[in-house]
Amino acid sequence: MDITRRAFIKTAAAQSAVAAAAVLFPGISFGAWKNLDTSSGGIEWKKAPCRFCGTGCGLLVGVSLDRAVAVKGDPNCSVNKGLCCVKGYHSIQILYGNDRYRKALVRKNGELVETPIQEALDLVAEKMKETIKDHGKDAVSIYGSGQWSIPDGYAASKLFKGCIGTNNVEANARLCMASAVTGFMTSFGLDEPMGCYDDIDHADVFVTWGNNMAEMHPVLFSRMLANRKTKTHVKIIDFATRTTRTSQAADKSIIFSPQTDLAVANAICHEIIRNKWVNEDFVEKHVSFRKGKTNIGYGTEDHFKFTDKEETADFREYKAFLQDYTPEKVEKISGVPAKDIKYMAALYGDPDKKVTSFWCMGMNQHTRGTWINNLVYNIHLLVGKISTPGNSPFSLTGQPSACGTVREVGTLTHKLPHGVVANETARKLAAEIWQVPVENIDPKPSYHTVEMFRALDRGDIRFMWIQVTNPMVTMPNLKRYRKGAQKQGRFIVLSEIYPTPTSDIADVILPSALWVEREGFFGNSERRTQHNEQMVPPPGDAMCNTWQLIEVARRLGYEKQFPWIREAYIEDIWNEYIQFHDNPKHRMASYKELKARSGVQWPFVDGMETKWRFNPEYDPAAKGDGFDFYGKPDHKARIWIRPYEPAAEFPDNEYPLWLNTGRILEHWHTGSMTRRVPILHKSAPASYVEINPDDAGALGVTNGSRVKVSSRRGSVVMTASINGRGLPPKGMVFVPFFDENHLINEVTLDAFCPISKQPDYKKCAVRLERA
Amino acid sequence: MPVFSYLAYPVQGAKEELFNDLSALDYCEAMQAENKEVLILVTDTPDEKTEKALQKQLKTLKSLQSLGMTFGHTDQ
Amino acid sequence: MGESDRKLGKLFLVFAAICIIALPFIVFSAISYEPDEMKVTVIAPQSRAFDENGDAVFQDYDRIAKEYLQGTSTERTLSEYYLRREYAGSPPYIPHKLEDESETEIDCLTCHAKGGWTEELERNTPLTPHPEHASCEQCHVKMTTEALFAANDWLSLPPPRLGRSYLPGAPSPIPHDLQMRGDCIACHVGPGTVTAIRVEHPSRGNCRQCHVPDLFDEPFKRK
Repeated sequence: MDITRRAFIKTAAAQSAVAAAAVLFPGISFGAWKNLDTSSGGIEWKKAPCRFCGTGCGLLVGVSLDRAVAVKGDPNCSVNKGLCCVKGYHSIQILYGNDRYRKALVRKNGELVETPIQEALDLVAEKMKETIKDHGKDAVSIYGSGQWSIPDGYAASKLFKGCIGTNNVEANARLCMASAVTGFMTSFGLDEPMGCYDDIDHADVFVTWGNNMAEMHPVLFSRMLANRKTKTHVKIIDFATRTTRTSQAADKSIIFSPQTDLAVANAICHEIIRNKWVNEDFVEKHVSFRKGKTNIGYGTEDHFKFTDKEETADFREYKAFLQDYTPEKVEKISGVPAKDIKYMAALYGDPDKKVTSFWCMGMNQHTRGTWINNLVYNIHLLVGKISTPGNSPFSLTGQPSACGTVREVGTLTHKLPHGVVANETARKLAAEIWQVPVENIDPKPSYHTVEMFRALDRGDIRFMWIQVTNPMVTMPNLKRYRKGAQKQGRFIVLSEIYPTPTSDIADVILPSALWVEREGFFGNSERRTQHNEQMVPPPGDAMCNTWQLIEVARRLGYEKQFPWIREAYIEDIWNEYIQFHDNPKHRMASYKELKARSGVQWPFVDGMETKWRFNPEYDPAAKGDGFDFYGKPDHKARIWIRPYEPAAEFPDNEYPLWLNTGRILEHWHTGSMTRRVPILHKSAPASYVEINPDDAGALGVTNGSRVKVSSRRGSVVMTASINGRGLPPKGMVFVPFFDENHLINEVTLDAFCPISKQPDYKKCAVRLERA
Repeated sequence: MPVFSYLAYPVQGAKEELFNDLSALDYCEAMQAENKEVLILVTDTPDEKTEKALQKQLKTLKSLQSLGMTFGHTDQ
Repeated sequence: MGESDRKLGKLFLVFAAICIIALPFIVFSAISYEPDEMKVTVIAPQSRAFDENGDAVFQDYDRIAKEYLQGTSTERTLSEYYLRREYAGSPPYIPHKLEDESETEIDCLTCHAKGGWTEELERNTPLTPHPEHASCEQCHVKMTTEALFAANDWLSLPPPRLGRSYLPGAPSPIPHDLQMRGDCIACHVGPGTVTAIRVEHPSRGNCRQCHVPDLFDEPFKRK
């Protein structure tokens, strides 16, 4: 046991005694030991954004000596105003699992062997050089994460895109946010929501589109319930494929058949037009119509390519298109009663009601993810309910920095911190800030995530550095990609904190400093950037991911581009990075400002945050009267003609059930952190399959029975849950994906949205058998 | 390496004496309350055997009336 | 033109006619966005009574006045609460009489479904966590004598201890089973509750976002 840990335990022992004495003898004082004054309990509170979902709750982490010992909600943070969820309150326990990686590991004769970290970093650099020499620069790749701190993603992009010159930079946010991005880009020309969480306090109606907020964004959901309680007329409509805690709390729960949200969204627009609820003035001034390709495929084959063709349309054409989507016709494919469609249309259409739509993975993990994002924007644009307090189409994120690091830094194959690689001006700006020759930056995007793992399987990619993510649990159609990664001649580097199934395929494991063990920034769903300082030392040799990248970059000869010193590199990187966004549409707060405040929303112009973009009343970049959708050259938002098309795979005689997958309250993503938090594991120790009571009855299974779930790709045996946390309708089963001992992604399908390349984890066909 | 903390109650009027007795023992740290007749004792012994010996020794102290444990930590 | 040709011609005409009749159907099904295999029937509203009737919390939070939720009193103590039960989680005795002044039997739910002050007993009424069950006396009985028919050596587990938070200031886990007791508000919020288990933040509407059951003892292990 080391000295600091021992000292810590003794402090805790003394503190317990002081606390006990204070209860028995009110007013007791121990003058001898000043820092054990009972009011502060010897704890120093420091602010950090929560490590888990994209809500971005402000936490105050209690630090005593060199240990994080307690958490409370940050009352100064407008996101959560002092409240957290069960994960947030226990988040610091993720630092202290006994199986934390403390030393670098290198695979030798099949076994992972402890190695000094500098030696491991030498090996990583050497392998990269060798791979580039033998197979070209496009044979090396990095696969990062929406949990990357902003400097991590920035350093990765600079090294791979700017220095090495390959666009093989992807992040797991491709699996969670890509359709949201393409939705924003096609409808508005700029990424990320126009509104903010304050919309929750202003709206009269909430529609959750396939979004179980009660479990996935609980703090925002509570804010919604509090709004409803104070205002009494507020309504929550849960529009989903399965009945959940959110449906339980909603005023109305409407269930639709998977994939048919496309048809229902169009039917809502049909009703809005038929009833003359269109905000004609808004549409006239601020909207133009577009159509794209149809019958666009599902990407299940290797080398699948798709480029949409944007064509101008008009309102008349749009109206004609909607004739196929009367509520009565749509009822037949969606299972949603026509009267419920009309009810939703009436809520959106009522000029006296402010409406906020929320969505997350239900709409993004969708083979027509871009389309359904477009279609929900269509509804808001038709009635002009956008960019004003309470009127908000709001795309939520699932990771703490999917926005901050992946979308804003642009750690995706086609992106740069500002603009896309295909754009010459964007390449020039990046080359100038990065101090690299502009020719270094390849104008052609390479592989999106699914294709990157296919390329690894095929051998087009030979070296992959994986940071802060666990693809051997999260990739759909997992068996293929695991086999691919294990092939001869593949070299996998993993920056991790705990052993996971991805460790099992890694050749080098670099121990990472986690969250408050290093300084960093996250960016949440509402354009808020949040800073945290380093509060406690990382264990053993564990090293910040940014610094790992810097160490390797220098070994590759890029000292000039990575000149920073350990004492100040996070601040220096921030100052370099924000040059990319130095314009009124995206200006970010200074390092000093971020250090002082519980998050700052961009665009941050002249010391003012922007709460509602595109609205000149709130947004300094917006000009003129009413609204200014300045993301598009004509300053107009787009209404897209997008049809309903069926899912890539749907139930048939052989596989008669839909499989839906997702998260639960207690566990975050693959559970590599939350399963090591005692209370979260004790509450939810293993995954299960939720079955509708009718289907369970027909199969002869009861709650707790063992059941085999199989698809054309694989199977998993797990426990049946009937009337448990959620209730799928007849014909559907639901499985949480957090459990590495029950890999449901061996069952899922790797079909994706052809525009966003984001896989659909919510729909494939399975059958159940008793096991 | 066991660590324990206690509230130590002195026999009537022997707070100072108890503080001196406890401070004189190995592996012990004591703190007096300024305004109440109670002390805090933190013990930090290298192993189980020493811990047991220490506990025996504590029982022999004349100035000590009773001990109430408030915290315990052992490595295994 | 020979006989056989004429026959062929007729056959062709018939074929052509079939084609013309069938054409609209073929074209219609080709342009229709509705593949046959995707046809579904209307999905009826589903029961919300799952997750240990977790909907009760949301309903009560929305239904019960803010003032009531914030109400406090110190009339009931934890020991009194457990004394009315044979073991933690068993249905409590009825500690009061069941008739009003005119000797008519009172319906339990008139008071226990809505709570509030009762003049007669001079205390706040506790809420039932399961108002959906109306046949109260099936489980709750009145104690008419303290004496036992024959002595026994009954033992049970002690009630869950308080203050089980895993970290200082962290929300405590739920230490009891949720069957019949899924409505947190009934026992943990408002003036009818026992002080020791009353929450200090009744303005929060989604209890189980922070308080989760603590049921299993094994720590997480990789397979």
